[in-house]
Amino acid sequence: MLRLRATFEKTGRAKYISHLDLNRCMLRIFRRSKLPVWYTEGFNPHPYYSFALALSLGFESSCEIMDFNITDDNMPLDTIKERLNEVMPEGMRIVDIAPQIQKITAIAKAEYTFDLKSEETDELFKAVENLLTSPEILIEKKTKKGIKTVDLKPDMDILCCEAVGDTVKMKMRLPAGTKTNYNPTLFVEALRNSCEIPFDMENTRRTGILCENNEKFS
Amino acid sequence: MNLKEKIEKHLLEVQKPSRYIGGEVGSIIKDKSKVDVRFAFCFPDTYDIGMSHIGMKILYSLKNARENFWCERCYAPDVDFEKIMRENDIPLYALESLDPIKEFDFIGFTMQYELSYTNVLNMLDLAGIPVFAKDRTEELIQIVVAGGPCVCNPEPLADFFDIFILGEGEEVNLELMDLYNEMKKQGANRLEFLRKAAQIEGVYVPRFYNFEYKEDGTIEKMTVSENAPEKVIKRIIKDFDKVFYPENFVVPFTEIVHDRVSVEVLRGCIRGCRFCQAGFIYRPFREKSPDTIYKETKCLCENTGYDEVSLASLSTSDHSQIDEMLSKLIDYTAGERVNLSLPSLRVDNFTEELLEKIKKVRKSGLTFAAEGGTQRLRDVINKNVTEEEIMSTCKIAFEGGYSSVKLYFMMGLPTETDEDIIGIAELAQRILDLYYSIENRPKGRSPQISVSCATFVPKPFTPFQFESQDTREEIERKQKLLLDSVKSKKIKVSYHDPDVSQLEAVLAKGDRRLCDVVYTAWKMGCKFDSWSEHFKFDVWLEAFEKCGINPAYYANRKAEYDEILPWDHLDYMVSKEFFIRENKTAHKSVTTPHCRQKCSGCGVNKAVGRECFC
Repeated sequence: MLRLRATFEKTGRAKYISHLDLNRCMLRIFRRSKLPVWYTEGFNPHPYYSFALALSLGFESSCEIMDFNITDDNMPLDTIKERLNEVMPEGMRIVDIAPQIQKITAIAKAEYTFDLKSEETDELFKAVENLLTSPEILIEKKTKKGIKTVDLKPDMDILCCEAVGDTVKMKMRLPAGTKTNYNPTLFVEALRNSCEIPFDMENTRRTGILCENNEKFS
Repeated sequence: MNLKEKIEKHLLEVQKPSRYIGGEVGSIIKDKSKVDVRFAFCFPDTYDIGMSHIGMKILYSLKNARENFWCERCYAPDVDFEKIMRENDIPLYALESLDPIKEFDFIGFTMQYELSYTNVLNMLDLAGIPVFAKDRTEELIQIVVAGGPCVCNPEPLADFFDIFILGEGEEVNLELMDLYNEMKKQGANRLEFLRKAAQIEGVYVPRFYNFEYKEDGTIEKMTVSENAPEKVIKRIIKDFDKVFYPENFVVPFTEIVHDRVSVEVLRGCIRGCRFCQAGFIYRPFREKSPDTIYKETKCLCENTGYDEVSLASLSTSDHSQIDEMLSKLIDYTAGERVNLSLPSLRVDNFTEELLEKIKKVRKSGLTFAAEGGTQRLRDVINKNVTEEEIMSTCKIAFEGGYSSVKLYFMMGLPTETDEDIIGIAELAQRILDLYYSIENRPKGRSPQISVSCATFVPKPFTPFQFESQDTREEIERKQKLLLDSVKSKKIKVSYHDPDVSQLEAVLAKGDRRLCDVVYTAWKMGCKFDSWSEHFKFDVWLEAFEKCGINPAYYANRKAEYDEILPWDHLDYMVSKEFFIRENKTAHKSVTTPHCRQKCSGCGVNKAVGRECFC
């Protein structure tokens, strides 16, 4: 049995597919592909596949990760990739299929890019810089146990922050995985709380799923 | 900003945004510069409901199979998105091209239930198309058409539509689009097109028909202009086994009501239950061969990736080769790990072998439509089911491991007495007693008998089209009587809102004067009337009052046999004489054998020019 890890894109209109719907969608993709995908052996057998990280509705991604198994050991990985891509919906595309190397628990961080659009770009840019240089970035986060206040600052790596035209372009690394998960909307919310400038968050995209040492998870 | 950007700007503010942006697998994209006729197929309810409709899937694929036609889908936006659309000047658009539907040649609605009428007006308004047909441009564009079961009496909608398409749409839709294409090239205008369209069999152009009324409110006479036919005959497909069926469905991202492959196994019904409109308007009975059903099932499962298939029909167990068909299907579905579901099974021909087959597939609940609580009433409505049959079926089911049964009944049927209502509770009790009397009943589970009680709605083109509906007070009294008659907690009773049923009756039996009421109710904020959270009966009553129309006249009045009914000029191939005969037989509590046993002379064989069964 081949234990495989697919990296796929979710862009364009596919960003409106919710995580729950993605599950259903992937089941149908596997069925349409007619690949010898491994079925669970329980009372209600279904194709086995699992997604490494959930992606928020409305976010694009170039690096989503899904694990699944193929029962035919001799099937070339390129063939599997091609056959899945033939039956994928618009905006979804497998970019790579490789054997599973690390455990899912090795995932520690994710990288995001997004645009902050405003008519008052300069002021917004200053507000972002102010927030980033403040000693702590506190925000209320809903968790399973209720609402708790977290400080984003220590766990947040800013990779890019620049004003281009009417847009502040951001790129940041945030904790992700089984322990802590911070969504970039938390940062945006903190920004909204820190200033009065009207702006929109657009083109949010996950660009990397990483391990603790910032290496690509594979 | 183009329309797509405008939509996307707000899409994340609404529930289930994937309903509003298209891009689903199986949706058909064409180059609009290369098509001659564009058709916006609209379902007057939300995506989740409309996407489940099998007729839309058929006609969508059928039209798109023609290279020069492009058919796109359009649904009513839910209230949250409608608000955004109105605030941001987003006109109603089609899901494939995301172009506004006001630019389309045809705007077609499928009318599946009366309570979707206000949604049609709302959708036209959202699209920026005048809701009244008379206010539309003289140019040949924006032809607003409707089909589906409700157009067998489309009079309460007559002012809003240019064309109604009667009967089965597979052929006539293409004929209509071809005519349009030809006349558009000749530079014809709307009226010229409608005149010619009215000559196509099955096409009803309401503006060419005029009604005068007597003082008592009944119809005095109907006059026809522009050489349109005196009687418009519905269309049917002669060779049903070879009729077009889609090879692919649009596969939604979000979960829809019927999220599976459906394969139509037969059309029409042999039974002739006297309340059932579908049982008459879809005649004659025709079925697909097991081979065709198997091929269509396999093809659709493979192309869509669905792992569930449902057989669609009015009564699947009436298929003459049901055993062969199921064996063939189960061989395929079991091998491919596909779930097969079989709705619409009848009580009387439910064999042990059939149950075994179903069980192999899936163990879901069992549902029986008994409809009447006593044998006398079941004879009145011609539900040819005896208590013995119900009991023996339940026995088979219980012995086969089922512990819950759902029973459908109707309340307010013609000739109904309190005895019939109490009979519902007693029948449910006897089924429960039967369960406990069975030694090898399922262990460790508590039985449940669900009784679902709908309110009878008299419908056109049925033997009960002449009948009146019980008043709301009477229905509420009967509902209470039923609740009081149930003695066990293991029997659960649910019933319909009588206000909803009354509005259904009014709109089902209504005439052209109701157009104003529908318009007024919509103007006053009525929409999504079939959704209990949106249904505003008080507003409807206000609309009736404003228009000077008494709803009781339509719902609670018995019609005379010789009265001109609002749908008498529409010919659904079953004769009015037959309905009168059946109505009289009903009142004598006498049943009529089903079509396979004996031809009841409904007239459909004459209209088709062949015997239904040889």
